[in-house]
Amino acid sequence: MNDRNRQPDRNRPRQGSPGHPSDGLTDGRLVELHSQLSRDKDEPAQGFSLTPIFIVFLFCGFGFWAGLYLTRNSGQFSPGVFDLDAPKAVADNGPKVFEPDAAKGEKLFLVNCAACHQPTGLGVPGAFPPLAGSPWVAGADERIIKAVLAGLAGEIEIKGIKYNGNMPNVGVALKDAQIANIATYVRSAWGNSAEPVMDTKVAEVRKAIGARGQYAPKELLEAHPLEAK
Amino acid sequence: MSQDPNHRRSPGRSPGSQSRPPRGEAQLRGPFLLCFGSAILWLLLASVLGLIASLKLQVPSFLNSECLTFGHVVAAQKNIFIYGWASNALFAVNLWLLSQLGRFELRNGWLATLGGLVWNAALAYGVVQIFAGNMNGFNLLEMPREVGPVLIAAFLLVGFWPIVAFARRPTEHSFASQWFVVGASFVFPIVYALTQLLVLWCPAFGPVQALAHSWFIQNLMLLWLGASGLAAIYYFIPKVLGRPLHGYYLATVAFWTYFLFAGATAPSSLLGSPIPVWVQSVGVVASIMMVIPIIITAINFHGTLSQRGGWAQAWNSTTLRFVAFGAVSFTLAGLLSTVFSTRGLNAAVRFTEFTQGQEQLLTYAFLTMVIFGAAYFILPRLTGALWPSAKLIHLHFWTTALAVIGSVAVALVHGYQSGHQLLNPAVTMTQVGSASLAFAGSIFAVLFLIGHLAFALNAFSMIFSSSAPTASEAQSD
Repeated sequence: MNDRNRQPDRNRPRQGSPGHPSDGLTDGRLVELHSQLSRDKDEPAQGFSLTPIFIVFLFCGFGFWAGLYLTRNSGQFSPGVFDLDAPKAVADNGPKVFEPDAAKGEKLFLVNCAACHQPTGLGVPGAFPPLAGSPWVAGADERIIKAVLAGLAGEIEIKGIKYNGNMPNVGVALKDAQIANIATYVRSAWGNSAEPVMDTKVAEVRKAIGARGQYAPKELLEAHPLEAK
Repeated sequence: MSQDPNHRRSPGRSPGSQSRPPRGEAQLRGPFLLCFGSAILWLLLASVLGLIASLKLQVPSFLNSECLTFGHVVAAQKNIFIYGWASNALFAVNLWLLSQLGRFELRNGWLATLGGLVWNAALAYGVVQIFAGNMNGFNLLEMPREVGPVLIAAFLLVGFWPIVAFARRPTEHSFASQWFVVGASFVFPIVYALTQLLVLWCPAFGPVQALAHSWFIQNLMLLWLGASGLAAIYYFIPKVLGRPLHGYYLATVAFWTYFLFAGATAPSSLLGSPIPVWVQSVGVVASIMMVIPIIITAINFHGTLSQRGGWAQAWNSTTLRFVAFGAVSFTLAGLLSTVFSTRGLNAAVRFTEFTQGQEQLLTYAFLTMVIFGAAYFILPRLTGALWPSAKLIHLHFWTTALAVIGSVAVALVHGYQSGHQLLNPAVTMTQVGSASLAFAGSIFAVLFLIGHLAFALNAFSMIFSSSAPTASEAQSD
């Protein structure tokens, strides 16, 4: 064993024959060579390929995906969300309560109703009845909801003036909350003052009347007579 | 290949070393041999316990006593493997690597020796306490809590020398191995101390405790064990092949992305548990972003090995054969954990043997094989002796390689199948298990034990046969 211990250093690197399997690198050379490699990256040496570009695109792709995944699967970073499949309402800390919003209703009114009833709510004399001060829109909210949902066709008398109305069922394409907002706006604008309308009420009425044609004004009055002022 | 003359020569080809001052080497020898010797002893104990545990799965009444229950044996085996074998061996290998790369002369080596002794004493006490039933319910934190501070103190004594060596390096530039070892040496004490605090000393409330624990496991596996193993691969491939690494300029990116993402992967092992969903998503994202360092290290390692017959050279060199095995395993382990951290696949394989297979791929097929390779390189240089038996080296490689391939493959395949069976309501619980699996486990445990015995026999006979003359040599200097 003693002889073996004193064996000459066969691992000492020989000069001039790089690449021989038994050669190896000295540690100083190892560090030096590699630090040179990382410094001279602008000067393509042998073995340089297109890998950098491929890698840059790949890693950018991963970064993009990571951002997308995080925003989509993080429950708005809320500390109270523990499950991906939790209903959205829970994410906003409790179920969402509808609040009638006349400002939103005004915007919807301008888009959906103002063409006939005019932004002033006064209508067009002889053609379209006014909403301002009209007893039809005040009082029981079923009346205005039904009119918006199904429309009206036939003779209608408002503030002593007769109109031959033909109102389309504009409400069919609108959501419950949207109709509630419009009705709330109409019932509070231009000097009108009636209770706001809830989206649950709209849903209830929509379910009750089903898909039907326009109401005759008389029919609507029978169900919901005009309240005395 | 076993009759290849080139390879035959290789086990003993390496006494002596570069022009290093013998005094520093003599200083290094004590702490190194203490840590590595005790690491081998712990490894033997761990493989015996692994065999006992696998036999208990077949014959539950085997060694039926109060302290040798299955739970005690498995907990002790895992702790011994991680803290006794892997950590001890990494103290030695990391210290040696950074002394070499930084041309560092270890002074006051007795501090490192003291640290090694304290570490092993504390570990022995902790293992005895586990068998006595005095253990905690957290994976790899089972040892009673008073062991924790002692381990941290011991780590600062023995595991901090690589950082000293790095700080005192004579040159401006540094090499990838140095970054990884320095990072790993900082991570372990910080993470271990914080986890001890959050889990055992002043426990955080429920979910935070679980989160801290999984963070600890991921950091321990990837940043302490994993980064140290990567450092060794980064050193030995260019060193033994005698040529620079392919695409080395990317290694910086690998280092930073590895340390950036590895620590954040923890919550991906807690998918579906009561922690906020955004924390889980961060874990998934970090696990998938880990593919960046994995691709780069693959380019560095496999690119270098694929040039100019590198694989053949690796096969013919004992060190590189183990190290290349570890490098391939690291790439596989990384890709597997990336793919299986996505929510759909993760739901299928969690709570099955699949996760054990992944862990074994990382801690054994990658890390342990790399440590073996490093030992075959370092020990002859440090002791000035030759490996006594080439046959034992062959036996060591083949038994451990076959056993780890087999046991990882069985765990992955069976875990995947049983995961899908568990999701299927038509399959009952009793139909999922399989008795032949426990039998295969015992066979692999026996193979591991044989391989480790061969390695220990070879290593210890070399260390002891060389200790007397080299000691006198050092004195006469």
